[in-house]
Amino acid sequence: MAFILNNIHKKFGDLYVLKQLSMQPEEHKLICILGPSGCGKTTLLNIISGVIPTDQGEIFGFEGKTISYLFQETRLLPWKTVQQNIEFVLKDKLNKNQRNSTINRYIDMVGLRGFENYYPDKLSGGMKQRVAIARAFAYPADILLMDEPFKGLDLQLKTALMEAFTNLWVMEKRSALFVTHDIDEALLIGEEIYVLTQRPSSVKGIIINNIPHKERNLHKENIRMIEQEIYQLMTSP
Amino acid sequence: MLNSTTKNRLLTIASILVLIAVWKLLAIFWHQELILPSPDVTLSKLWLVINSDNFWPSVGATLARGLLGFLISCCLGIMLGFAAGFSTPIFWLLHPWVTVIRTTPVMSIVILAIIWFQTDVVPVFVTFLMIFPIIYGNVVAGIKNVDRHLLEMAKMYRVKARRIILELYFPSILPYMLAGASNAMGITWKVIIAAEILSQPFYAIGTNLMIAKIDLETAQVLAWTVVAIVISFIFEYLINALENTLKTWG
Repeated sequence: MAFILNNIHKKFGDLYVLKQLSMQPEEHKLICILGPSGCGKTTLLNIISGVIPTDQGEIFGFEGKTISYLFQETRLLPWKTVQQNIEFVLKDKLNKNQRNSTINRYIDMVGLRGFENYYPDKLSGGMKQRVAIARAFAYPADILLMDEPFKGLDLQLKTALMEAFTNLWVMEKRSALFVTHDIDEALLIGEEIYVLTQRPSSVKGIIINNIPHKERNLHKENIRMIEQEIYQLMTSP
Repeated sequence: MLNSTTKNRLLTIASILVLIAVWKLLAIFWHQELILPSPDVTLSKLWLVINSDNFWPSVGATLARGLLGFLISCCLGIMLGFAAGFSTPIFWLLHPWVTVIRTTPVMSIVILAIIWFQTDVVPVFVTFLMIFPIIYGNVVAGIKNVDRHLLEMAKMYRVKARRIILELYFPSILPYMLAGASNAMGITWKVIIAAEILSQPFYAIGTNLMIAKIDLETAQVLAWTVVAIVISFIFEYLINALENTLKTWG
């Protein structure tokens, strides 16, 4: 079964953000939504997560599903430790034993063992983002929504976090929608890449990338070819 | 080498010694106990005051009034502050009331309170009106400054409303509340004594100050003033300690 977004329209006052946007992303895939800055990508995620309603159009496949969200900012509670921050979103969902084992597992996976009792202001930016990633994955969600979570980080950190992210994702293959304006991120992460137009946004085309994540490298020929495809699609009228 | 805390302590002690020295010099210069008694005369007077039958009942009564006024203000300030912080209509309903309370001169309030209430109640009432707006204002500001991003995150992850209040709103408002409380505490002791001077309850620091003034016992005025300063200082210290234990993060 796939998710279906059919003919979505959204206006904020006079600002036409989404126009006739349709897509059918596959379940259990890493879906990438690639579009220029300010084209309404965050609006699209908010519509999918049910935070804002559409003006027109239908959405299927998201009803009753639980959603995890990875934001541009880390959004950690400063008065809670790494462990407590993850626990904050799990408390209403899991009992104490389940919580502890889940938290421990994900703290290990993002490489923060030994830092579980640190408060966020004692951690570096990259470590905080890893806590946010652990929180998003630890939450028992069917769908993972990500709004440019690697924006504004330096290249080295970004590469390390993306690797941590794809490693986690490959183990569980939850449905994931990843929004970005960065072609490199789309190339390294996306399996289905939806390229959006300028505002008002609709889908310009879809590019499939079936190369396994472990083999992806921006310098390899097969990735470069997909990059060319994306460029052509973005610059086409 | 001294570490910075000991260094700061030494500086504080030096500064207090200078203050007492200046006081002593001025007293010698004037040489009139009626206008400025010397520190040693004041100290011996303080000893007499502490040992008088009147001392502990007066201090106890003033403390009880101050704390009562403070607690009532905190309870109402936090409750109404939460209500106004979450609901704009309630905020605007309360706005004129709070503004009137905030801007009425202390002395008008004291005089009206003396007309309306028994002498023992007057200082409590006045303290309440003086510090309620501070606590209330800080709680409202704290709620308005809760990080929208964190709230959005908690809602996205379907965290229960009760836990959002306890684990998100409360800790982010806490620094505002504590700042308000420490500010209010300092004002409490000044206001309570001013109100006691005018309303003259049977047992009160303010009443003793007034009696000393009528008797032209300047040393006794200063002695009771020292008592008031010490009380104020102790509570400031307690609030700081509370602040440090509650705010463990960071």
